[in-house]
Amino acid sequence: MKLSIKNLTHTYDTDVCKNLQFELEGYNSIAIIGASGSGKSTLLRLLSGLEKPTKGSLVVNDYAVDDEVYRKKIGFVFQQHNLFPHLTLERNISLILEKTRGVDPIEAKRIALESLALVQLSDQTYKLPKNVSGGQAQRASIARAFALNPDLIFLDEPTSSLDPVLTYEVLSAVKDLKKLGKSFVFVTHVMSFVKEFADYVIFMDQGNIIEHGLPTILTFPKSKELQFFISHIM
Amino acid sequence: MKNKVLNYVLAIATIVSFVLYVIFVRDAEFTLDRLITTYSSLLLTGFGNTILVSLITLVGSLLFGFILYLLSISKIPYFVAVVDVFTEVIYGTPLLVMIVLMAFLIGPAFRNFNRPVMGTLGLILYISPYMKNVYQSSFSSISKDQYMAMDLFGFTPIQRYRYLIIPQVIRVLMPPLMNNFSLIIKGSALLYVLAFPELYYVINVAQSQTFLFVEGYMLLWMMYLLITIPLSQFTKWIERALRT
Repeated sequence: MKLSIKNLTHTYDTDVCKNLQFELEGYNSIAIIGASGSGKSTLLRLLSGLEKPTKGSLVVNDYAVDDEVYRKKIGFVFQQHNLFPHLTLERNISLILEKTRGVDPIEAKRIALESLALVQLSDQTYKLPKNVSGGQAQRASIARAFALNPDLIFLDEPTSSLDPVLTYEVLSAVKDLKKLGKSFVFVTHVMSFVKEFADYVIFMDQGNIIEHGLPTILTFPKSKELQFFISHIM
Repeated sequence: MKNKVLNYVLAIATIVSFVLYVIFVRDAEFTLDRLITTYSSLLLTGFGNTILVSLITLVGSLLFGFILYLLSISKIPYFVAVVDVFTEVIYGTPLLVMIVLMAFLIGPAFRNFNRPVMGTLGLILYISPYMKNVYQSSFSSISKDQYMAMDLFGFTPIQRYRYLIIPQVIRVLMPPLMNNFSLIIKGSALLYVLAFPELYYVINVAQSQTFLFVEGYMLLWMMYLLITIPLSQFTKWIERALRT
């Protein structure tokens, strides 16, 4: 994966990303960590093109993030599953394939069933999101991102609303998908997962990238901010 | 299921016996026969007119309410302000005043002297801001994240409405829509001030000729229920049908 961030500033009421400069190449599983309000989720949304930056540019794998082609190459898993509530798990996947990717209905359904099987949801296929557990819904949301066969999947705190058992369930599903050769950029508070799953870590604080490097930076943090963050989260 | 039906039958029986008790205590002479037989065709006309006016108002206010909704989310501040002011004015206007102004002042100002038409138009204008609210609350039931997901997956605007927004919104929309429709039906009674022969007007005529006041109101009540209950069952049925 290749990331290039130049002069990136994003403002809501205050600056949530402050003139970021960042280049990276060659890693396939990048974790963005930091306290709440550090700007990490915003950076993730900007990288995925879900939000447009106030200023600056983002290029991922040589695509500008607002490029339509790029859009079709990425998947996004939201903090709260964000499945369409009126559609079954299967339909949540097959509708997108049919309508936006031009897959024929029978094939779309086959892919949907296959993707749900990948995250161990074959027995929940025809249930509505409200009738499955939070962990199952989040896994379905991962299956949905995966079914579109993206090169790159963004995960925005996929376990933040789940208890430890469901968290484990969801993260195992993500690990299984990594074996299939996808790249990931994710935001999470689960440090054990970062250590185990990420091959690169970006630490943010108050809208700035303070420290970045291999996951060993979590064991030997250099900056005061990361030291403080780790001592409070572990 | 059986239990549910039984409970409903019991509930209806409770209300009916209460009404019968009140009638028995107050008025031993009570009879609907004379009103119904003597005025059957007039009553039918009134009943038909009430339904007709209500349906026209429903369709009209659904359309005009939608226009108000679109204006209220417009990027042009003037439109937003117009909708706000119009809504506030309507909230503070009694429906009776609205109908009278439309038929006797605004209509003639535009050379329209057809009072029932102007009265119905008044009803439509009056209900539209409430319809606008129904649209507002229904559409806001879809979260920002869902719109983001629609963007992300690349649904076209028509696909969004067809597959994602309308199927969700319609369920939320039905109950308040039903409330507004009963507002319309009851509001249509005020067209009697224009001597328009809707239900309340014809009952009034029958009452003043027979002096059967209690019976007249009873009949009026029953005829309104005859419209509103099937309608509310129908909307519930639509809701259920859409859920599956």
